Amino acid sequence: MIELSEVSKSFHVGKVNQCDAVQRVSCRVATGEVTILKGPSGSGKTTLLTLIGCMARPSSGRILLHGIAQGALPGLDSAGPLEITSLPERFLTGIRRNAFGFIFQQFNLVRGITVLENVMLPGYPTGESQLAVRARASELLELFNIARHSASQVDLLSGGEMQRVAIARALINNPEVIIADEPTAHLDSRLSREFMEIIATFKARGKTVLIASHDPVVFDSPLADQVIEMRDGAVISHGFRA
Amino acid sequence: MKRSLERHRNILDFALSSLSRRKGKNLSLLAVYSLIVFIIASIVFFTQALKREAGLVLQDAPDLVVQRMVAGRHDPIPVAYAEKISAIRGVSEVKPRFWGYYYDAVTGANFTLVACDDPPPAAESIFIGSGVARTCRLSEGDFLPLRDLNGAPALFSVQEILPAASELVAADLIQMRGDDFRRLFDFPRGRATDLAVGAANQNELKTIAAKIVREFPDTRPILKSEMLRTYDAVFDWRSGMVLVVLAVAVLSFIIFAWDKATGLSAEERKEIGILKSIGWETGDVLLLKTWEGVVISLSAYFSGVILGYLHVFFFSASLFEHALKGWSVLYPEFRLTPVIDPYLLCVLFLLTVGPYVVATVVPSWLAATVDPDAAMRS
Amino acid sequence: MHPGILALLTGSIFTSLMILYAGWYGVRILRNWDLSSGSELQLFLEKDTYLVSTLLSYALAFELVSLFLFIFTADRLHLLFSGAMCAAGTLNANGFGYPLMILKLVNFLFAGTWLVINHADNQGYDYPLIKLKYTLLLPLMPLALLELSYMLAYFSGLHADIITSCCGSLFSMERPGIAGDLAALPGAPMRLAFYASMATTLLSGIFALFRGKGYCLFSAVSSLSFLVALASLISFICLYIYELPTHHCPFCILQKQYGYIGYPLYAALLGGALTGLGAGALAPFRNRGSMARVVPALQRRLTGTTVVLYAIFTLIASYKLVFSSFRLGMN
Repeated sequence: MIELSEVSKSFHVGKVNQCDAVQRVSCRVATGEVTILKGPSGSGKTTLLTLIGCMARPSSGRILLHGIAQGALPGLDSAGPLEITSLPERFLTGIRRNAFGFIFQQFNLVRGITVLENVMLPGYPTGESQLAVRARASELLELFNIARHSASQVDLLSGGEMQRVAIARALINNPEVIIADEPTAHLDSRLSREFMEIIATFKARGKTVLIASHDPVVFDSPLADQVIEMRDGAVISHGFRA
Repeated sequence: MKRSLERHRNILDFALSSLSRRKGKNLSLLAVYSLIVFIIASIVFFTQALKREAGLVLQDAPDLVVQRMVAGRHDPIPVAYAEKISAIRGVSEVKPRFWGYYYDAVTGANFTLVACDDPPPAAESIFIGSGVARTCRLSEGDFLPLRDLNGAPALFSVQEILPAASELVAADLIQMRGDDFRRLFDFPRGRATDLAVGAANQNELKTIAAKIVREFPDTRPILKSEMLRTYDAVFDWRSGMVLVVLAVAVLSFIIFAWDKATGLSAEERKEIGILKSIGWETGDVLLLKTWEGVVISLSAYFSGVILGYLHVFFFSASLFEHALKGWSVLYPEFRLTPVIDPYLLCVLFLLTVGPYVVATVVPSWLAATVDPDAAMRS
Repeated sequence: MHPGILALLTGSIFTSLMILYAGWYGVRILRNWDLSSGSELQLFLEKDTYLVSTLLSYALAFELVSLFLFIFTADRLHLLFSGAMCAAGTLNANGFGYPLMILKLVNFLFAGTWLVINHADNQGYDYPLIKLKYTLLLPLMPLALLELSYMLAYFSGLHADIITSCCGSLFSMERPGIAGDLAALPGAPMRLAFYASMATTLLSGIFALFRGKGYCLFSAVSSLSFLVALASLISFICLYIYELPTHHCPFCILQKQYGYIGYPLYAALLGGALTGLGAGALAPFRNRGSMARVVPALQRRLTGTTVVLYAIFTLIASYKLVFSSFRLGMN
């Protein structure tokens, strides 16, 4: 479980353009469940995702990981919840690398390198041998039916294919938590439904999924266990599926 | 350890791929950088090779040369001094030398004339260096007209042209018989240009020199070691001057490198944001930038050094000879002996890679500290 | 105007610039660091720590290279000074030469120890040593500037017509001064002192490795052994390398005619001194926060490295003592 307690994030503090992107959010993301963050543009969903996903540090509040990334790093206690609020970037990144897989709105694939290399990228700094990473990457591309594009440049792929590459990349280090930011924004309804089918397989494998979306195909999906609605950086409602 | 090596290897692979994706920018940087290295390497190699040649040449020079000074200027020395000098303990031989400079108005060149008795040329014949032969367009059997002290013409027949291998020392050399020399310069009888003194034990040279000066206060002994030192100092000074002038070029290069490094395109910035968002740490991106820098510096260093080496040792440093050899009409044509000196290579490395590293430290760090959530929002 | 001098001066200027820049950031960090705060300033400061580490690493690498390059250049320049036969004479050409060399040595060891502490601190999740290490950075700045000014003073004070001494007379027993005193140290007692100090270092290192304590003592012993080894080099080890009873110069062993044996000797000795210092420098922080998990392992590695490097030094020296065709009479 990921627990947030009074978490806030502000940018350009003290300046004219100060932006309070997230304001005193408290919530829980349960392990093995699908949580949806719902809300219009600018409601703070993306910022909240970066905080939960160990990509940024909150300005105030606490974030605790229960049973996630345990023993991921030497020097950290294995017992008890892991508070990541004031961890140095090295450790945050280590946790993110081992425990979190990200799927970005724009897919964020690196242009100029092949699909296979894109999928392998998160594995490079871990010190694992390239052969092992390559083998896993190939397996993932097979799994998502895009192995035939392994050697292609990402520019030549369709939106749906790019998304599947992004998903494969997110899974390369076998993460416990999948985070997706507006994953269906560039997809038609058929591909959106296919995406939710992939999410169903993650849930079946016990992974925790967190999706930010304002697409009804996503937040109205029967897969969602919890829907958190945000507006102007604050949570305005929590909904739980029975 | 293994993990660390794999990490380096993986990131190096990506660095190479990253460099090749921005060919234009990196090739232009590499070209300019290699040029700088090439120029500095050429200067350094050339100077060192010349110093070495000078050293080799001076090996056969006399241990000690005694000259006579009158009113602070060089004057022919009485040959009679030789006897007293040979009597000094430790002196193995004393030989009077007859040589001088001849200014040829026709070519504007200065020749070095040396009386040579071992073996001497035929009467009114000369051995000439290849520089003389080239400048005056002479072959064996041709005649070289000179003028004596009174302006009267003196014709000499070219008996032999000295081999090209001796160019460095003999380019401007004309060797003639002793009496031809004395006649041409109306050289005073009983005098020589200087005395060449040999000693059995090199360590005693300083003492011998001191004794000579005590005995003949009007003389100036010059040790071979002092000559070597002077050559070294002059070559170093010359190459140093050129290098200092080059400092301006190096400074411009540093600014250029800085500019290239800080000028992250939007594409590059996004790429780094993506890397950080998928699990690359600042330290990993810094390592990536470092490897990129290493690849560029080492490529530029090796290509610049190799080109400089070829330039100096196979093309006789044609680009720089004017600055380094001095102003003269007779340029010797010669091949310098190739020499690879690890010390020089290290110095070159510091002079070329050092500034680049310093110029790119901060830009690399700036690139590595790009926020990952910038990638989320793009 | 020698290219070697230009390289050294350029490098020294750059190193000083890097250290000063690092120091400036260090002051900022010292004043504003607050790990529990998620403020933007704190995030900037954390980014700054990467810059400081990188700058210092490059500075250290340069200090090491320039130490050897300095000796080498001094050696090359010896032709310009009458009386000088090797680097010893060149360094003696004015009053800045030897102090500069010692200063470079000090800066190398200082920067290296700082990097060891920095490495340990970075392994911890709560940056426990951050204030300490940036405070330690402060004295490195004036030292770097001092080194640069000494270097400028030394090289600008070199004039080719200076008459200096050759290492034979500098390091001769009759000459007053440190060099002479070192050379005049009696052979047999020095040999005893050398082997005793190396043995003590080995034993205290093994003790520390097995018992997990006593690192401060080990560090002190290894530093002392460093000094004893340097003195021994001048006093008797060099004699066996040169096979001459009067040649005590510590620089000539870097030359080609002696098989460049000076390089492995000095590399092992300097490396061992550095890691020994590092092991001791970390000892006070064994129990501070996250360091409890990090420091013991690091100390073990450093201690092991010191022991190995000093052993290499001792082996090379002993090899020369045993197999050299020179024999020093017992006195």
